[in-house]
This record gives sequence, C-alpha cells and structure tokens, in this order.
Amino acid sequence: MKRFILIVLHIGILYLFSMLGTWLKEILNLSVPGSVIGMLLLFVLLMTNIIKVEWVEAGAQFFVSNLVFFFIPATVGIIDYFDLFKGKGILLILIALISTILVMTTSGLTSQFLAKNKEGVKE
Amino acid sequence: MNFLIASFFILLTIIAFIFAKWLYQRVYTPLLLPLTVATVIIIVFLLIFNIDFDTYMIGGDLISELLGPAVVALAYPLYQQRDRLKQLLMPLIIGSFIGSIVGIASGLLLTKWFGFSDELIYSITSKSVTTPVAVEITEDLGGIISLAAVFVMVAGIGGAMMSNYIYRIFQLDTPIGKGVGIGAASHGIGTAKALENSELEGSFSSIAMILSAIFVSFLMPFMIALFM
Repeated sequence: MKRFILIVLHIGILYLFSMLGTWLKEILNLSVPGSVIGMLLLFVLLMTNIIKVEWVEAGAQFFVSNLVFFFIPATVGIIDYFDLFKGKGILLILIALISTILVMTTSGLTSQFLAKNKEGVKE
Repeated sequence: MNFLIASFFILLTIIAFIFAKWLYQRVYTPLLLPLTVATVIIIVFLLIFNIDFDTYMIGGDLISELLGPAVVALAYPLYQQRDRLKQLLMPLIIGSFIGSIVGIASGLLLTKWFGFSDELIYSITSKSVTTPVAVEITEDLGGIISLAAVFVMVAGIGGAMMSNYIYRIFQLDTPIGKGVGIGAASHGIGTAKALENSELEGSFSSIAMILSAIFVSFLMPFMIALFM
C-alpha cells in the first residue's frame, strides 16, 4: 500500500514536469514536445542534485517497466487506416525498413569508430 | 455512462496487456511483442463487436494522457546510466546524432520521391524514436499519430529481426557499435533485443534511444524546413 501511494505521488511529480515542459514549449514557442523538455529538465535537476532521485524513483520505475501499456491506444488507432496498406501504402513499410537499416549502420559505425581505444567497448 | 465505457475499455486494455506480457514470457519471439499482441487483441475485439475507434478512445484517451509523464520518466534510466554516459559521451552523442539525421533525412526524402502526401510523410519520419515521443512529434507536425505508432513498430520489430545480419555485413562488432545502432534505429524494442546479448550492450542501446528521441525532436522542424 505504501508503495502504491509512493508510485501515485511520483507520477504526480512526473506529470508536473510534463506540464511544465508543455508550458515552456508554448511560452518559448519551441517545436519540441513538452514532455521531452520536461525530461531534459528533470535529468538536469537530477544530475545537479536539486531533485533527489528518491522523489521520482518509484513512479519512474513503474513507467519504464510498463511503458508499452501507455501506447497501446495510439497503436490500436491503426484500425482506421487498414486501407492505406492495400495499395501503394505498402511501400511505406519498405521505406521504414530501409531507413531503419541506414540509421543502425551509420549511428553504430560512428560510435564504434569514435570509441576505439576507449574503455568499456570490448566484449 | 461515459464513466462506465471509459472504465470498461481501460480494463480491456489492461487485461490485453497482462495477457500479452504473460504470453511473451512463455513463447519468446520478436513477432509476439506485447505491444503487437495487445493491439491485435483489442482490434479483434472492436471488430467483432463492431465498436468504432472513437468509442474505444473514451477510455483510451485517459491512458494516452499519461504518455507525457511516461516520456519524462525516461530521465530516470538516463540518470542511472550517467557514469557510462560521461565515460563515452562523445561517441554516444555523435553516433546518436548522426543516426537521427540519417533517419529523418531518409524518411523524408524516400517518401517524398514516391510522392506520398505531407500527412503521411509526417507520420513516418519519427519512426526511429520511442512511441510516446514519436506520437508527440507527429501530433505537433500534423501527421496521423496512429500511423506513426505503426511505423515505430515496423522500425522496432524490423530492426530487431535484421540486426544480426546488419552487424555481420557492416562489421559492427563492439557492444557500443551494436548498442548505439539498435538503440538509435529501433528504440525500446531494439534495447530489449540488445539486453539479450549483454547488459552493457543494452545500456548503450537505452542511452542511444533516449538521446535519439531528444535529437529527433529538435532536428525535425529544421530538417522539414530544409527538405520539404
């Protein structure tokens, strides 16, 4: 029960950061999602020890381990777009796969090249 | 009445999710990812009982409302990985940054060449980032969020299934190379796959996934202005 209350409280704090991010996005006219701004803000405050990790830990762990649950509704929305994939739309899947291969190779090879001779890269 | 409908669909989603997770633990294959299975269960349910998506969303919207704080929560794993992040800061940042540019550019250009509508283009370009962030980026751009969620799944599942071949062909043979590659391209699904290889690879993947989500959010508007 104590754990449950803690999770709810921590989710409340995370929610505040999300709202704060959305608010900053609007007043600063940024084109970055408010939640991403909120995440960066929380990360900086955690790194500078202004926010103690214990204040958000239970809620954050809950979200991270059940992350998938929260985007089920968005995915279910595909139900309205089945027709798209009958014709030319199937090409979009192919494009997504090609682009995925390109991202994986360029990002991976860049990091691998730059990390050569550093610690923590050997198997 | 709306309260009852909302509660019913939230409960349905929770049950579908718990069942999908249970199934995944028993029959492990990338095709039976909990997100895919839970989504299929709900879609089949809606089709059988002839319920439209808007009705489902009376409950679904309340779940989606928590996507914001769920994204904020990603600061926590990033904070936990802070030592690894500091140690390999430049390789991780530059690798994820290059991946983000390549992902947006290839998505935009390929869809444009094939003559797809702006709405569809805006729904596919954020596919390499984790769903909650992709959904928010797509919403900002005016794309279709449900399609964005599907392309994110394609990038995730496709990337996880192709990864071993890609590693071999392109000689990605270090934990950081593999981890950043799959994290930048295939977000959470890729990270789960990387964790199967090693904890180290998994942590590089999760760092790359979060960094890519941040970079793609910031780069998207500029690259759209540049290419569109």
